[in-house]
Parts: sequence; C-alpha cells; structure tokens
Amino acid sequence: MSEMRYKLHPLSAFLNFIKALKELIVPFIVIFGVNLFRDGGVSGMFNQGWQGMIPFLMGIVVVLFMLVAGIIKWKRFVYWFEDGELRIEYGLFVKKKRYIPFDRIQSLNYTEGIFHRLFGLVKVKVETAGSGKVGESEAVLTAINREDADRIASKMEEAKRGFHHHALNDAEAETAPVEIPEKQEARVFYRMTLKELMILATTSSGIGVVLSAVAVFLSQFSDLIPYEALYEEVMQFLRFGYLIAALVIFVVLAIAWVISVFLTIFANYQFTIQADEDNIYITRGLLEKKKISVPFKRVQGIKISQNPLREWFGYATVTVESAGGSLGDKEEKIRLFPLAKKSVMLPVLSELFPETEWEPKLTGAPKRSVRFFYRLDFFWMAPFIAAMSYFFYPYGLVSLLLVPVVMLLGIWQHRTVGYALTGRQLTMQFRGFSKHSFYLMKRRVQAIDITQSYFQRRKQLASIEATIKSGMMGASARINHMDTGDAERIMAWYEPSSRPLPEDEKSQPEYFSG
Amino acid sequence: MQQVNNQPKNQISRKGLTVWRLYGSIETLVIALVAAGAGAMTYFFDWPNWLYALYAGIIVLFGFLLIYLFPKIRWERWRYEVREQEIELQHGLFIVRRTLVPMVRVQHVDTAQGPILRKYNLAEISISTAATVHTIPALITEEADELRARISVLARVAEDDV
Repeated sequence: MSEMRYKLHPLSAFLNFIKALKELIVPFIVIFGVNLFRDGGVSGMFNQGWQGMIPFLMGIVVVLFMLVAGIIKWKRFVYWFEDGELRIEYGLFVKKKRYIPFDRIQSLNYTEGIFHRLFGLVKVKVETAGSGKVGESEAVLTAINREDADRIASKMEEAKRGFHHHALNDAEAETAPVEIPEKQEARVFYRMTLKELMILATTSSGIGVVLSAVAVFLSQFSDLIPYEALYEEVMQFLRFGYLIAALVIFVVLAIAWVISVFLTIFANYQFTIQADEDNIYITRGLLEKKKISVPFKRVQGIKISQNPLREWFGYATVTVESAGGSLGDKEEKIRLFPLAKKSVMLPVLSELFPETEWEPKLTGAPKRSVRFFYRLDFFWMAPFIAAMSYFFYPYGLVSLLLVPVVMLLGIWQHRTVGYALTGRQLTMQFRGFSKHSFYLMKRRVQAIDITQSYFQRRKQLASIEATIKSGMMGASARINHMDTGDAERIMAWYEPSSRPLPEDEKSQPEYFSG
Repeated sequence: MQQVNNQPKNQISRKGLTVWRLYGSIETLVIALVAAGAGAMTYFFDWPNWLYALYAGIIVLFGFLLIYLFPKIRWERWRYEVREQEIELQHGLFIVRRTLVPMVRVQHVDTAQGPILRKYNLAEISISTAATVHTIPALITEEADELRARISVLARVAEDDV
C-alpha cells in the first residue's frame, strides 16, 4: 500500500488566514469601535504619539500572527491512506493525528469558494456517522486539487467495495478478487431550470414586501375615509408620518428582497440532483460551488412543503431529513428540491425513493374537530381585540376582523390535516400557514406520541406526533385533533408486537398478539 | 387513549407522590415568601386591607394545587410498561401523553438520582433513542436498576423489522 503523504494546496494557508480574520472581526470592531468614541476619534489615535497607536499596533501583531499561524497550519497538515484509513496529521502547536476508517465515512462534501475556483481547487469535508463535537465535521481539507479529491473518493470507494467484497464473497465469487467492481456512474435526475430558479428567488421572501406595498397603497386610500373631521391636525400628522414610515419600510424591504434574490440565485445556481446506488449528490452555487452527498441509508424522512402562494401555483420544496452530520451544521436539512412543480418532482422522487408512495389517500380529521383548530386562539384574540377596541375606539374595532381570519385559517388547517398508512410508510400532512407533508418509514421513526387534552378526550380526539432523527437531534411531524381511532391505528401500526403477520397488508388495530 | 384496559400496566412508586408533594411544598414556600413580601409592602405603604386576604388566598390556592391536586393527578396518570419489543409510557397533567418507543430504537438507558430522590431510595430512569429521551421519574432504586438492565438486554436482542 502506498504511503505517499499528501499536502494541501498552498492556498489553504491563505484560506486559514482569512478564516481566522473573519473570526476576529467582531473583537476588532469592538476594540476600534470603542476608540471611535474617545476624544479625537480614530484620527486622535494617530495624534497621540505611539501610545495612541497601541491598539493599532496590537491589531497588526495579531494579524501577522494569524498569517504565520495560517502558513504553519498548512505546512503541518499532511494526509495519507493506510490500512483502509484516511490518516491526517495536523496541529499548530500540538501535533494531532486523526485516523478515519474509510468504511466509517458517510459522505464527502465539496465546496468551491471563489478563491478555490481561481486555482481549480476544492474544499473537502469528511463526514462520518456521528461526528462528535458541535459544529465540527470529522475532517476538513481546506484546499486540494481536484485530482487529489478524486483520489480520496476513489480510495474510499475502493476500500468500501473491497470490504463488501469480503462480506459478499459468495455472491460475487465469479469476479476476479483483484478487480474491484466498478461503481456505477452517478446519473443526473434533475436540473433546476432558470424559470424555477427565478421563481424561487423572487418568492422566497416576498411576503414582507407585499405587505408593505399594501400599507403604502392603503395610506393613499385614507383620503377616502373622512376621519379628518375628528382630530384634523393630529390625523394630518399621523397620516403623513404613516406614509413616510410605510415608504421607508417598503424601501428597506425592497432592498432586502433584492439582496435575497441575488443570494438565492448565487446559492442555487445550476442546482442539480445526481444519484448512484448509494448516494444522492446535490450540486449548486454560482460563486461558491457546493457538492454534498447524502447516502440513501442516512435518509430519515422526506418533507414536502408549500406555502399558500406556491401551493396555488403547484410549486413545492422538498427537504430530506438526514441522520448524523454535525450539530449546528445547516446541511442537516438538505433541500432536495429548492422549488419545483409537483408534477416535475414526483416522478424524480419516486425514482429516487421507489419504496415510498407519494400520493397516498389521506384520512382527514373528523368534522367535530374543526373548532379545536381555532378555539384556543380566542384566548389571545379576545383580550387583544378588547384592548384595541377600548383604547382605539372606534378604529380598534377593525381588529374584530381577526376573528374570521383566524377561524378561516383554522378551518383550512382542519381540511389539510391528514395521515395515511401504506405498508411500512406513514404519511402525515398538516398546515401551520404553509402546508407540509412528511413521508416517514416505520424503521426510521424513533418514537410516536399521542397527546390528548381533557377537551379532546371528551370529543374522542387526539393529536399524534412522530419523531425521527434529523442531524444530531430530532424532528417531529405532528397532526392535531384526529379521531382517537386513527391515533390507535397509528399506534398499532407502529407497535412492533402488535404487527399483523402478513407484511404487505395494511396494519389494522384489530390484531393484537402481545 | 379512551380505553382504560389498554393503558400501560405499571405505576411508578407511591413514594414518588411523596417526593412530588415535597417539591410542591418547596414551590409553595417560594410563593408564600413572595406573598409575605407583598404583605410587608401592603403594611408599610398602607394599601387596602383586603389585599391580605388575596395573598392568603393565593397561598392556599397554590398550596392546594401544587401540594395536593397536581401531584395526585400526575401520579395517577403515570403509567409505564416495558414489553419485549417496546416501551410504552403515559403521563401528563392537563394533556395526557402516551409514548411508544420500540426496543430496537433504544440506544442507551441511564438512571439518575438527586439528593431528594436518594433520601427516598428512588431513581429516575432515562431511555434515549437516536432522537428522543424519555424519563420515568420515580422508581425504587433496585427496580430502576433492574429495569435498566432489562431494557438494555431487550434492546440488544430486539431485531429490526426491515
């Protein structure tokens, strides 16, 4: 076995430095920010002779130190392959060694920042099943050549296949033992179209803008309402102030929106889903290109979400809940489809996850539970409306409009909620404001809870919550105010000892063997 | 949920109720101290006298709820059952929660014992899955140890169904 030791690309020294600088920004701002308020401000620092320069000099020393540290870190970092392990040796002052067995590596995630792309480099993050520490993946190779990255991937593949080979030598006895079975090429399943990207970018944070536009619009309409007669001058001022405030908010939101449009485009540019038999690969990004891989084995559940606007046009977002990874890592919830028409994504999804049924027939909540969806809201609405109406009479009475709105939302939630048991799959659909559908496999559900309040009990209702693993923690899907019979059915479906023997049949609560 | 015959079999130790009453007493004591402070203010600032009755009422009410009623309901609700293939829990004061954890999902079991629990020879047992932690709050120490051992054996034996 070759024990050639590899180094990172020199660029990583620079990247280490930049990263350290980034972490220092806050303390720097604090130190220099404080100086701004001393007599003379920043320029005062330079007028006071060398003493005034102390913070400045300290800053330079720190920056220099960072630069040197970055270079040393790069110098010290070596990795090599030995005994089916990825071995890394690194450390600024203390030399550390980390050996990661290849078959424990769950995924290699690639990121290409702007600097990386100038040199054709890539940053590789090695993720294992349970990366212990918070926010830390098992190993990060700051910048390496593409060939080196490919070498790691192929070494890993080799080790895994070889391992498989030992395990399955009966099945694959014919193939020459030296020759490692070639891995099937990843196939492209979906490419985000430009239209989808634009829709995603423009609708992702649009509500605030729309609201403020409405506010500006309404302020114009206040002419039609003859309330000047009451407190003419006060109202004049208020109206003017209102207009200005609404305009300012609108402009700020519009700018924020434009920024977010660009950020979204940058982040999701050329979004592509590829997959081979073991992994899903997601590639995206314009300036910073990212490639993450999600092993099928690690997928815990899939969520399809639609906010009302997107629901109206048939668009949806798909999120994959994946186990492992590191805590605090945003990649835990991997967006498989940032935004696509349901008709586009469903064929892809059923190809990627053939054992999942994507449009099962849902059982909804019983009619009698409608009131439960808005009843509790009266607890905050009643005092709120009372206070508004009392203090801002008569305009405060407008707050009464909340009642039908909240009730309608409740009715809507009631109509959306539902579940389905199809074989080993549990599907749960519910709505806060956006509609969410969770697709869970029984073997991935960690626990199921049924909760029932006194009032629910009187009406034979119960809420059901299923928890799966997501990242280092859990994620749960919850459907409220279902019939108790349905709750029992889900419980019985989930309960290992009450499972009916014919596997393919739908679980029914009548079977009790334990 | 509705059917009584179907709820988990075992109750937690009777001494758990005593411990909860003790906790309730401590909480009531804190409330009483706050009320006493308010009473002192009332005295020094010559606030209306009916306030004293209010403070007393609050103390009595919370004492009743925290020492008598809530622990009683909670204790009567608390049920657990460890079967060969799953663990079932039921608890809750206003909202009754029933939880089902398959043995296959159990990753580890811990017992813990604070000073008060130790005094009563009680221990709590926590069952962790990959995503959740479930706690049975008051079991006799030996029982808790025995249960922990049993769960860890069962969890090792249990086979995944898919």
